[in-house]
Amino acid sequence: MTLLFLPSFWLQATQSRLLTMSPVDLVIVVAYFVLVLVIGFYLKRYASTGEDFFLAGRQMTASVAGLSFISANLGSLETMGYAAATYQHGMVIAHAYFIAAIPAILFLAIVMMPFYYISKTHSVPGYLKLRYGESTRSISSITFAVMTILMSGINMFSMAKVMQVILGWDFNYSMWVSSLTVAVYVMMGGLLSAIFNEVLQFFLIWFGSLLIPILGLIEAGGWDNMVARINQRFAGQDYTHLWRNMGSFTDNPMGLDWIGVVLGWGIAISFGYWTTDFLVVQRVLAAKNLRSAQLGTILGAALKMCVPLIVILPGLLGLAVLPMNLVSEPEALRTGQHSYNEVLPLMMARYCGPGLLGLGVTALIAGFMSGMAGNVSAFATVWTYDIYKALIRKTASDEHYVKMGRWCSILGVFASIGTAYLVMFFDNIIAYAQVIFIFGIVPQFGTIILGMLWKRVTPKGGFYGLLAGTLTSIGLFAWVRLDRSALKYVAFYENASEMADNIYRAFWCLLATFVVTIVVSLLTKPKPDSELENLVYGLTPIPKEKGLPWIQRPAFWAAVVGAAFVMVNIIFW
Amino acid sequence: MSEQKHYIPIWFFVGALLLFYGVLITGAGIYYLFAPMPNEVVLAHLHAPIWWGGLLTALGAFYTIHFRPGKQ
Repeated sequence: MTLLFLPSFWLQATQSRLLTMSPVDLVIVVAYFVLVLVIGFYLKRYASTGEDFFLAGRQMTASVAGLSFISANLGSLETMGYAAATYQHGMVIAHAYFIAAIPAILFLAIVMMPFYYISKTHSVPGYLKLRYGESTRSISSITFAVMTILMSGINMFSMAKVMQVILGWDFNYSMWVSSLTVAVYVMMGGLLSAIFNEVLQFFLIWFGSLLIPILGLIEAGGWDNMVARINQRFAGQDYTHLWRNMGSFTDNPMGLDWIGVVLGWGIAISFGYWTTDFLVVQRVLAAKNLRSAQLGTILGAALKMCVPLIVILPGLLGLAVLPMNLVSEPEALRTGQHSYNEVLPLMMARYCGPGLLGLGVTALIAGFMSGMAGNVSAFATVWTYDIYKALIRKTASDEHYVKMGRWCSILGVFASIGTAYLVMFFDNIIAYAQVIFIFGIVPQFGTIILGMLWKRVTPKGGFYGLLAGTLTSIGLFAWVRLDRSALKYVAFYENASEMADNIYRAFWCLLATFVVTIVVSLLTKPKPDSELENLVYGLTPIPKEKGLPWIQRPAFWAAVVGAAFVMVNIIFW
Repeated sequence: MSEQKHYIPIWFFVGALLLFYGVLITGAGIYYLFAPMPNEVVLAHLHAPIWWGGLLTALGAFYTIHFRPGKQ
């Protein structure tokens, strides 16, 4: 979900570095690189079969799967981008961690995970193949492969740019060193290596970031005083509520209304991303059994709700304690002031001395690198199983496919580096990546969920539904680009923000997928029940939880997290 | 499913890294306690590196020992 606030990080920034590292900080950074390489070499011996390399042997515990699941999403683009967006728009950005995440993650855990897990698919496109056939899988896998490389490249580009601006490091050096490190450890240990490093990154991000809100709250004099300071400095603007200023498009600086937040962001985009983006789903598919996969996913939801502490709160604290007012990127370039994008590094520089600064910077690097590793390992799986094995070489030994996966990891990294250089010259690629993401991921959710819950959905229904959703999204995008007044139909408001446009487009695209899938399915012949076993509700034996104590049941923990989600929304209404 | 494989738990690596970082950060904190920097950070008087580094050291030591290789 980083995509909605993917910032074009300092694309043209030229100001001098924000932070200066001491020798102890450099030792901390170097130690991280050494350890991830050691882990990669160590795990190579445990990644010898396809199941090991692509699904980490399917023996992860719930806690490891859950941490990895949430870490795959918690990259540095997210922490920096959302902190910046919070400084700019206020607490409404936290919807990304609540309404636009928790319902979808819990839905994945309780409703969808049994089908993914019991079908024994290697990937989300693999499920589409089992449920609908090769043509539907091909659309999904090719879109996904392009998207992951694009995202990985954007991630690498952003990392190198961030390091250049905040630390003064050379762009090419930062990108090549970190990319080659990722290539080596993913090639060695596959998903296992990626998961190990994601868990490591999770701890680094928390320990590297948590001190900022702690010290920030001490400086501000607690939450109430922080809110009072913000209200005093930015009188007349509401920065500290979630829903109060979402009544209409003009009530908040994001240019969104609550209907768009709920239908577009909370349902279409969120469910699309959290339940069908293979990058995150792959992590929990590696769990040792269905219950671990479900509990891991629910743990991921609980942790996701905590992330605002290290992302949203520093943004709000920036509003309260930073002596200067941050401005937009173009204005910063024009006037030499600091921009919103710099809020997190500025807070880091404010509180972190030698040692702590190294930890914070390592957390940022780890976040970028594990984001890239996640993309590369998911790309290797989808390429090997859903493109190469499905379309190019259908019969080969398991060893051959593992070898292909290893080479693919390297290839993926080089393709990402190529993309990063492309982004350097064509910065609008970042904006288009967000659009392409909605083209691909949202209709996929419509197709998968209907296929999982309704056996009447036919292969043709699934295929044309997916196609219709994608074409609707492309069509609406083109319509608005050609005629801005189309926004009054697409987003119900002719001056709607780009974000509102993206969010409403996602909703229409999901609706088109649903309608076309249902209509075409009713007009075409369904698959016999025997071909839908373990794939569809009613034909899949879901393990009963009757014998389990309630404290071990996924449904209980999902209810706990769901209740916490409701409470947080009420408290910060 | 492939045969169950027993590798060193991830928690050991997490512990080792936190322990190493904790010792370094605490050490840096103690050093700068006696030789303060000219441009101190905000709230420097709270000596965050010492207690934050101490927390990392304690947690890292626990994980490293508890999940050390060879321990069943």
